[in-house]
Amino acid sequence: MSYYDIDAILTDAEKVPCKFELDIPELGYLDNNPSQPLKSGTTIGLPLWLAELLALANRAPSSADEDAKSFVSLNMPASLSSEVMSALKADPRAVPLRDQSHNFYGLGTRMLDLFEEKEMCAILRRTFVTRAADIALHAGKAGATDDMGVGAGEEFLRGLEEWERKLFKKSHDGAKGTKEWMEGVKKH
Amino acid sequence: MYGDLGNKLVQQAKRTQNLAHLPPYQTELVRAVTREVRDLDKDVNALLEPFQGSFHPTDDQAVACTLLVNHLSMRRNKRCLLAYHHTRTDRLEELVWKGYDVVDLAGQQGRDGSANTSGPSNTVNSDRSMSNLSPQEEDYVRQYSDLLAAYKGQWTDIDLTGSLEPPRDLFIDVRVLKDAGEIQTEYGQFYVRQGDVERLIAQGYLQKLS
Repeated sequence: MSYYDIDAILTDAEKVPCKFELDIPELGYLDNNPSQPLKSGTTIGLPLWLAELLALANRAPSSADEDAKSFVSLNMPASLSSEVMSALKADPRAVPLRDQSHNFYGLGTRMLDLFEEKEMCAILRRTFVTRAADIALHAGKAGATDDMGVGAGEEFLRGLEEWERKLFKKSHDGAKGTKEWMEGVKKH
Repeated sequence: MYGDLGNKLVQQAKRTQNLAHLPPYQTELVRAVTREVRDLDKDVNALLEPFQGSFHPTDDQAVACTLLVNHLSMRRNKRCLLAYHHTRTDRLEELVWKGYDVVDLAGQQGRDGSANTSGPSNTVNSDRSMSNLSPQEEDYVRQYSDLLAAYKGQWTDIDLTGSLEPPRDLFIDVRVLKDAGEIQTEYGQFYVRQGDVERLIAQGYLQKLS
């Protein structure tokens, strides 16, 4: 992941629910209430770039102070909730991942860096593999008929998240390229 | 919330990646994001002022957290700004390698943007305000072109930016689209060696007749 990677930066903007562990007078604006102090226990959706370091900072006891805990505690975002996980477990192809998050796998990877969730990891992996096979199938078909696969798979393709879209495009270009090359071979 | 404007900028960059041409430079948005960074910096200084340089994060957690949020917001904005410009300069470098003329390019894109209002008149070409590039970007392209030219100059017998496709014929017919002054090639004026005029075709002075 590069510093300049646009998709990584957009993934960083995905919101994660955070519960504040202390009162902070100056941060009321985070809860759309600039005049009031931010109360301990308030849960707000914060972008990953803010949430991750707020949760990690101060965790290592920088002093002998017994109060050495983090500013916020993180929770799993709704797009990775147990409902979504059970739906993916039932049939990975039936869930429009794009509706959950535009960078679904990116968000999943970032969250799994922070949480120990073996089962979620397995589900996400299986989801990707199952869907990738279908994506390749649709992309190949689209190459053959030149209508970008509009028709049967339309619903499925609309539900692809960013990474899958890239995969679709690569797969589609690959199939097209092979076809063109084969035709060129026949000519000579 | 802080960082929202930066996000808008990155969404612009994402759009740019999927477009064939370079959309206009977001002067206003860039200015707004830098202004946000300045405001955040002012806030940080105001927060730290009462401590007179002896601030201990563990003694005052609420202030420490506010400072961290401000710092992270500034860092985020910096990343958004850099990524936005990086995406654009990447594209500009690509255009330079392809052999487009920057002044010409700026005019061309201005024409693309106002295709409905003005015909293919040459007046648009000279109108610098139509350019999709910021003045800094134009300068960047100019200097990058010089750099590339100097690099290419080391090899006189090979054109690094030439076409990678092997030509079918050594000679081709061309039609002149724009007046480029008098150009004599080794062989003639309209039936010429492809290698001699490749650059002129890329720049849009000539059209190859098949």
